[in-house]
Amino acid sequence: MKILVVEDDIETARYISSGLAELGHNVTLAADGRDGLFQASEHEWDLLLVDRMLPLLDGLAMVKALRAMDIPTPVLFLTTLGGINDRVAGLNAGGDDYLVKPFAFSELAARVAALGRRPRRTQADTLLRVADLQMDLIARTVQRAGQAIDLQPREFRLLEVLLRHAGEVVTRTMLLEKVWDLHFDPQTNVVESHMSRLRAKLDVGAEPLIHTVRGAGYSIREART
Amino acid sequence: MSAPRLLRTSGFRLTLLYALITGLSFLVMFGVMYWSATHYMKEQIDGAVAAELHEVELAAAGDGWRSLSMAVDAATRAGNGFHYLVLNPDGEKVAGDLPVRPPQLGLVDGLRLPASGDVPALELRGGGRASADGGYLLVAASARQIEELQESILRSFLLGLLVSMVLVIVGGGILSAASLRRVEAMSRSSRDIMNGDLAQRLPLNGSGDEFDHLAGSLNAMLDRITTLMRGLEQVSVDIAHDLRTPLARLRQKLERIHGRGADAQALEAAVAAALDDTDAILATFAALLRISQIESGDRLSRFEPVDLQAVVDVVAEVYQPAIEDRQQQLHVESGGSLWVQGDRALLVQMLANLVENATRHSPAGASLSLRSGTQQGRVWLQVRDDGPGIPAEARERVLDRFYRLDVSRSTPGNGLGLSLVKAVAELHGATLALEDASPGLQVTITFPQE
Repeated sequence: MKILVVEDDIETARYISSGLAELGHNVTLAADGRDGLFQASEHEWDLLLVDRMLPLLDGLAMVKALRAMDIPTPVLFLTTLGGINDRVAGLNAGGDDYLVKPFAFSELAARVAALGRRPRRTQADTLLRVADLQMDLIARTVQRAGQAIDLQPREFRLLEVLLRHAGEVVTRTMLLEKVWDLHFDPQTNVVESHMSRLRAKLDVGAEPLIHTVRGAGYSIREART
Repeated sequence: MSAPRLLRTSGFRLTLLYALITGLSFLVMFGVMYWSATHYMKEQIDGAVAAELHEVELAAAGDGWRSLSMAVDAATRAGNGFHYLVLNPDGEKVAGDLPVRPPQLGLVDGLRLPASGDVPALELRGGGRASADGGYLLVAASARQIEELQESILRSFLLGLLVSMVLVIVGGGILSAASLRRVEAMSRSSRDIMNGDLAQRLPLNGSGDEFDHLAGSLNAMLDRITTLMRGLEQVSVDIAHDLRTPLARLRQKLERIHGRGADAQALEAAVAAALDDTDAILATFAALLRISQIESGDRLSRFEPVDLQAVVDVVAEVYQPAIEDRQQQLHVESGGSLWVQGDRALLVQMLANLVENATRHSPAGASLSLRSGTQQGRVWLQVRDDGPGIPAEARERVLDRFYRLDVSRSTPGNGLGLSLVKAVAELHGATLALEDASPGLQVTITFPQE
């Protein structure tokens, strides 16, 4: 993926770019908002990582300018400001996701993967499938190997988010945000409890599909043989 | 209070403006009075002259200059205050005390009787008419009354103007001085406050006037600033005190690895532990920042109608499985749709913190309940458990940052959960009550009446 990182702190920029390069991404750095805006509008990118606080032109203004130029490249905001106000302001300015510094690299990697591929799969999909698991979003039914599985609404939504990101890592915070619109970190293992119930229903007597990615989150995919 | 300062006050400038307006209105009033009084007097005199003219004609035996001159002689002798002139057709004076002048009919203005002996010169107004045989009769009366009236009006105008100007300026000066004194007192207090006497407040005189209102508002502002500053000081102290411990622990761990030879596996484990410690410290920082943000009240602008029941439902849904995994039960008693003005995200987090508190401090087998309802138009939320509860003497203190009961030192947590609950409740103007549920703890949040 071609990623432009607009970040003025050299240490952070290096940390992000070397990490993303290890994952096989092609990373370019811009050190201020004006350079970021120039590069983002001059070249084609799959994803922009934009710090909120930038010299010359702040991140919000930069993304607003891009959106005004009809450039739809997905934007992931990075920030040290942690309030919900800041998150809403970021999304309103045209950002697609928001990550508060400091973050675990696995969290960044998961969100980068989720965003970079976003345009290819649309919300209009009505049938989600992984291996022999199939979810019908219209009839709201789930089948595994032709067997209907009865899920509670919350389990259905959890599975839907996993399936929409099939093959990728979905972190705990991403699940809390996408399934319940929760924007804080519970001290209790709420996601784990939900996941164990979902697994008990899906993976009973079959090859497990939901995998725990240590230190990162969960991923639904066909077991590698 | 020096004189130049008084002259620069807005009150005094206003006074001068009033003085100008008063002066102008006096001038207009004077003009109107002067004109109408003069006009009235002239009409009076002209009327008297016309009447006398008529009198003389009546007194004369016929309408000829000879009989007119006899009537005039008689009237002059009687000395009725009028002055006369009768001319024969040749323009010669035959009777009267006025000097000869060319005959002029109708109103005769600007007549002048020259001074003679001790009688001063006299301005006159008169009326003239011709007799049938070519003679001429002029009757005139003194116009001095007009002048006297005009003089008297002018005098009283000047006097009135002088007196009112003095009153306006002196009165304005007194008023300005009074307000300047109040402002000076407020400035003095402000300077004291700036110099560090933060407990000082602006003086109120209890009259409820605009200065009292202003001082009241400023005092309220000072109270708010003081509260915020105290909060800030408290946070600094809390941070210094309670973050030093985990940081010191982290340092010890790092030091131990640093000193020891590199056993890859042990190193990996130590780094993982250090990362966990760092994450915990960062989470504490984030929680502190959050609480300060909420306490500073800058989220009020995001308030919108929120259905508390939906908040209860989502929190119950999120926590139900985790609570069951702890061998506890969560009961939800719905109170129907309950709308309050608020910030949904914060209300969710507040309730989540309460539920987390309840489940984490209660043993396996405990039963938690989440209830909501309205009483006397006020919406309330209640989280109740049958765990160990909080001793009465500690119930206030558990709301403080970092305060933890000794018995709960071993359970994970940063001691900020209830502080955040308190901050969110206060932001919403809601009351927070911690009560004994015997056994257990019951936390009730009551929102203000809509």
